[in-house]
Amino acid sequence: MSDLIVRNIKKTFTLSRKQMRIERTKDKRKIAVDGLSFEVKRGEIYGLLGPNGAGKTTALRCISTLIRPDEGDITVDGKSVLKSSLDVRRRIAFLTSELKLDDHFTPGYLFRYFSKLHGVDEKTMTERKNFLFSRFGIDKFEGVKVADLSTGMKQKTSLALALVHDPDFIIFDEPTNGLDILTARTVIDYLNEMRARGKAIVLSTHILDVVEKLCDRVGIIIDGSLKLSGSLSEVRNQHPDNTLESVFFNLMQATVGEENV
Amino acid sequence: MWTVFKKEIYRVLSDRRLILSVFIIPGLSIYLIYSLMGSVMNEQITDVEEHEAVVYTEYRPEAISTLMREGMRYTLYEGDVANAAEMERLITEGELDLVILFDPDFIDKVDNNGENPLPGVTVLYNQGRQKSTRAHAQFLGVMSAFHQQVVIDRLEDSAQYRVYDLVTHNHMDERLVMGQGLAMMLPILVVIFLFASAMSIGPDAIAGEKERGTIATLLVTPIERRHIALGKVLSLALLSLMGAFSAFIGIIASLPRLMQMDGRPSDMALYSLTDYLLLLVLLVTTVLFIVAVIALISAYAKTIKEATMLITPFYMLAIISGVMNSFGGAGGGGAILYYLSPIYGPIKLFGDILAFDYSLSSFLITTLSSLTYTVILVYAINLMFNNEKIMFSR
Repeated sequence: MSDLIVRNIKKTFTLSRKQMRIERTKDKRKIAVDGLSFEVKRGEIYGLLGPNGAGKTTALRCISTLIRPDEGDITVDGKSVLKSSLDVRRRIAFLTSELKLDDHFTPGYLFRYFSKLHGVDEKTMTERKNFLFSRFGIDKFEGVKVADLSTGMKQKTSLALALVHDPDFIIFDEPTNGLDILTARTVIDYLNEMRARGKAIVLSTHILDVVEKLCDRVGIIIDGSLKLSGSLSEVRNQHPDNTLESVFFNLMQATVGEENV
Repeated sequence: MWTVFKKEIYRVLSDRRLILSVFIIPGLSIYLIYSLMGSVMNEQITDVEEHEAVVYTEYRPEAISTLMREGMRYTLYEGDVANAAEMERLITEGELDLVILFDPDFIDKVDNNGENPLPGVTVLYNQGRQKSTRAHAQFLGVMSAFHQQVVIDRLEDSAQYRVYDLVTHNHMDERLVMGQGLAMMLPILVVIFLFASAMSIGPDAIAGEKERGTIATLLVTPIERRHIALGKVLSLALLSLMGAFSAFIGIIASLPRLMQMDGRPSDMALYSLTDYLLLLVLLVTTVLFIVAVIALISAYAKTIKEATMLITPFYMLAIISGVMNSFGGAGGGGAILYYLSPIYGPIKLFGDILAFDYSLSSFLITTLSSLTYTVILVYAINLMFNNEKIMFSR
């Protein structure tokens, strides 16, 4: 049985005048996600691959209950994001490489704060903090204000904070975007560990290398729709070159036209 | 809710700069400004009262000199004054406070009893100078006494001059006078400081989370959005109250100097325990409303800067309401609509309580309406926290 099921979700946004100018469109409505469906099992990493503006972040935000799909539904461990959003939030971690922290606080304080918000008891909180801070090398900086941390350390802190409740489902938007090589490596290693521990992971990326290194299955999303989905080998086999890159560019050309790729 | 509440409190209390700007500077600056104002005002009044007016006179009759010695503090100008232009210059420059020019043979002409032309007195003074104005007022008193004396002398039966006996007793209630003074000054100041305190922390607590992107981290936790909204509003209310309390202490500490009560206690005993309790309840309900307004605007704004910009008109409105109350005069009564007004009502009731002129109904109308408005606003904030367009639009 699949543990995370995205069923035919659709999400439309109303564009502001400024956004209409940027998008060079006269249409006030923009379909960000159009009939997207996929499933993710525990112990696997599913990658949503697509160009910028394809609808990856919107899809992940729908899964993480930050926004509601206009149509369709998403269930996490059988709980619907529309009907039981609090139950879904208890089971997921939502991360983004752009996630920022309040500069004023220390990683130690923030870990305690988010643990309380997630209802984690004191003993478990201490154990998890010790483990995660040690795993990411934050332990030495536990009492240092976020403002004084390096960018990499801030990202690792964000990662640790998202995992305070040890969720079974990890939603990661652009996991290595903007990270230095060392931090990116730490993140990739940790996601592999999470998979080995039986977590279900969905990540979005426009970087082919990340998909190649991490994902068991991949879905290529263009203009809000899933154009292709399957295991890495299944997807690669869609092109004579047998590379993800060739498959991706073929699909792009077929969807948006050669001149726009 | 309490976790969010405690975090917001800790956010401010662990930041030395915020402690200084929210809790210490308001009270300290009020104390210093008011103390200085009081001292300067006191000095000015004493200076004017003790000043001996410098007066230049020509053809001054002895009868008037006698009355002037009794009714004025003055010295005669010892220099030479060449002409009218010179007199005007000396008055304008403040070297002279008063110039009094009697017609030659003034008394003889007065004694001629009504023959035209009447004898004249020309007075030059400078209304722009307090000392000159005071000397002029005193001289008018002198001439009034002289006029009365002449009229009595002219009448054959001086008893006819007396039409009635006027007896005035001034039973000044110092408590009431003081209360009315406070009612004019305090409400506007308290509201300004409440707003200022809430403004210095409110936008950062909500719009700041949106600007930094941390709101997503908060909203993805299994906490009801209304609890997040309540936690934010209540923590802001407590912090704003603490800021306003600091301003309040500053005002009370500076009162003896401001009201020229040097050497006396600040008359905290002016009000009863009930009055203080009513003020406290009013303060709390007003703070809750102000904070809810600021939280609502901050939830709507995308950045701290935008939130501050959008709050400013409300701040100005609060100041105008305070000014209207100060100039409209304190005192109970007025239409129910006044007390139902979100900002004006509490300011007016604040003044009424300080002036010992309030009713239980106006108190209930004001506090309950403030609470109702706050509940509506918190509900609206909750809706905004649930509105993805407001929370995540860039």
